[in-house]
Amino acid sequence: MLELNALVLKAGSPPFSHRFEAGQINVVLGRNHSGKTRLARVIAGLDAPESGEVLLGGKVVTGDPPGKRSVALVYQDFVNYPNWTVFENLASPQKAQRVSAALIRERVLEIAGQMQLTEFLDRYPDALSGGQQQRLAIGRALAKSADVLVMDEPLVNLDYKLREALQVELRGLLREFGVSVVYTTSDPRDAFALGDTLLLLADHRLLQAGPPLSLYESPGSPAAADLMSDPCANRWMVGGDLRLIRPEHLSLDPAHVDDVAFPVQVLGRETNGSETFVHCQADVAEANTQWVAKLSGLVDLAPGSREIFYASATAIMKFDAHAD
Amino acid sequence: MKAIQAAKTGGGQWLLYLYGIYLALPVYWLVSLSLRSNQSIVGTTGDAGLTFANYQEIFTNPVWYTGFANSLSYVAINTVISVTVALPAAYAFSRYRFIGDKHLFFWLLTNRMAPPAVFLLPFFQLYSAVGLFDTPLAVALAHCLFTVPLSVWILEGFMSSVPRSLDEMARIDGHSLPYFFLRIFLPTIKSGIGVTVFFCFMFSWVELLLARTLTGSAAKPIVVVMTRTVSASGIDWGVLAAAGVLTIVPGLAVVWFVRKHLVKGFALGRVS
Repeated sequence: MLELNALVLKAGSPPFSHRFEAGQINVVLGRNHSGKTRLARVIAGLDAPESGEVLLGGKVVTGDPPGKRSVALVYQDFVNYPNWTVFENLASPQKAQRVSAALIRERVLEIAGQMQLTEFLDRYPDALSGGQQQRLAIGRALAKSADVLVMDEPLVNLDYKLREALQVELRGLLREFGVSVVYTTSDPRDAFALGDTLLLLADHRLLQAGPPLSLYESPGSPAAADLMSDPCANRWMVGGDLRLIRPEHLSLDPAHVDDVAFPVQVLGRETNGSETFVHCQADVAEANTQWVAKLSGLVDLAPGSREIFYASATAIMKFDAHAD
Repeated sequence: MKAIQAAKTGGGQWLLYLYGIYLALPVYWLVSLSLRSNQSIVGTTGDAGLTFANYQEIFTNPVWYTGFANSLSYVAINTVISVTVALPAAYAFSRYRFIGDKHLFFWLLTNRMAPPAVFLLPFFQLYSAVGLFDTPLAVALAHCLFTVPLSVWILEGFMSSVPRSLDEMARIDGHSLPYFFLRIFLPTIKSGIGVTVFFCFMFSWVELLLARTLTGSAAKPIVVVMTRTVSASGIDWGVLAAAGVLTIVPGLAVVWFVRKHLVKGFALGRVS
């Protein structure tokens, strides 16, 4: 299937290799400017890598133009041909492959049905809603019948509710088509919701790859732990070692007698009703490094008050001080 | 809300009407002159009846109607050449980075910094040497010196407002560059093309100096014919006015055909 061999995304960053499993959804998680989009473009053939190879089905395709590779791409901003109707948009990749009109029609109707676009076939993209426009873009990518579908933060420009709805739908849909997906995102929740395999990207290099849950439970570096944590993990030093605890693993009540206690001074809090984020200064942490605790429900803690947070000893992650 | 609307119809609208009258008055004057005989205009006879004799004169006198034909032909040639040449050039400036691209782009503008008079003599000598003198093509090519840079600048603005991802999408779908350019990209920027056509047409249609100098008798444009209506019997005001009215018509026609794109194009605010 899709393979990256000693790929260097940006001059000066270390090379990495990875083998994507066929038929899986591979989520690439990274912050802005971590090289996600660059990776997507390199796989699609829009950009050339600094060095290294991209292999498709065992064949090196690094030098091939995008039209010649079996890769489709969905952008984060809904890119459709504005002067073509929904039908013509969906027909576009097959038209370029010189498929007969009858076959194109059949395929377009099939995809429009799955993408719930059947009633809009005669419309132009600007007459569609944002969600429909992105459906159209995804539909056109699927119409290419490529082995690999690259999706570069496809849901980031949709509003919150729509994003969740489309995300659930997408998972089922991509399974149905059996296409191998490379899905980039900066949201750890996407990784859990969609990903069979997760790749963590930072500074244009691969930090770690594996099933989402195992990466969450045993991150290989503090950076990997931070990527899978929203907000970032809380840090403190013990001797020469770095310790991390995720915000969601702190609680006000000890669950077990062995739980570790962290006396803190509360600095402030913000809540959305279902979750409360408590900003505090922990006694173990260095001065001016704020901690955040993510507590469920509405919790009222006055700024300035002293509290004790507890965490299970197994939830504390230990790293070398010079890891990262 | 109501109060605001009332205020609008009160002061602003009257000002607008006044301005409209101010703009329309010369045109009205021109049209009314063109429908009267010269004698009635200069006041030697009291006859004030409407007459189409002036228009008839223009449509039957070859000096007049060939003037129109000449003008229209070089304006058309100029517009076609300018847009066809500027489209790929603007695409290159908009999409590719090459050594000196910014300098070259700005250099185009410098062609517009010199007044047309500067180029008169070189053009005259050049065209006389190659036998282009006194042809519509000569004027069209001379005007291209000004309209091509203008077109490139206008089109580049419109093209750059189209996201590059559209080009990339077409590449991924497997379309060739010419196919993408003609079937997807050009329709996408048709407003920009409309605006460009409008500017090329207008420049070429009203330009007098080059058009007069680079033509003799065979390709004499209408604006030149109009400046040469003085005869032994004085100026024929009526015919001159009729010619003036007919000169406005092609401009109006162009505005009419591209008006939808013009509004869109100007609304984008991408006209350099």
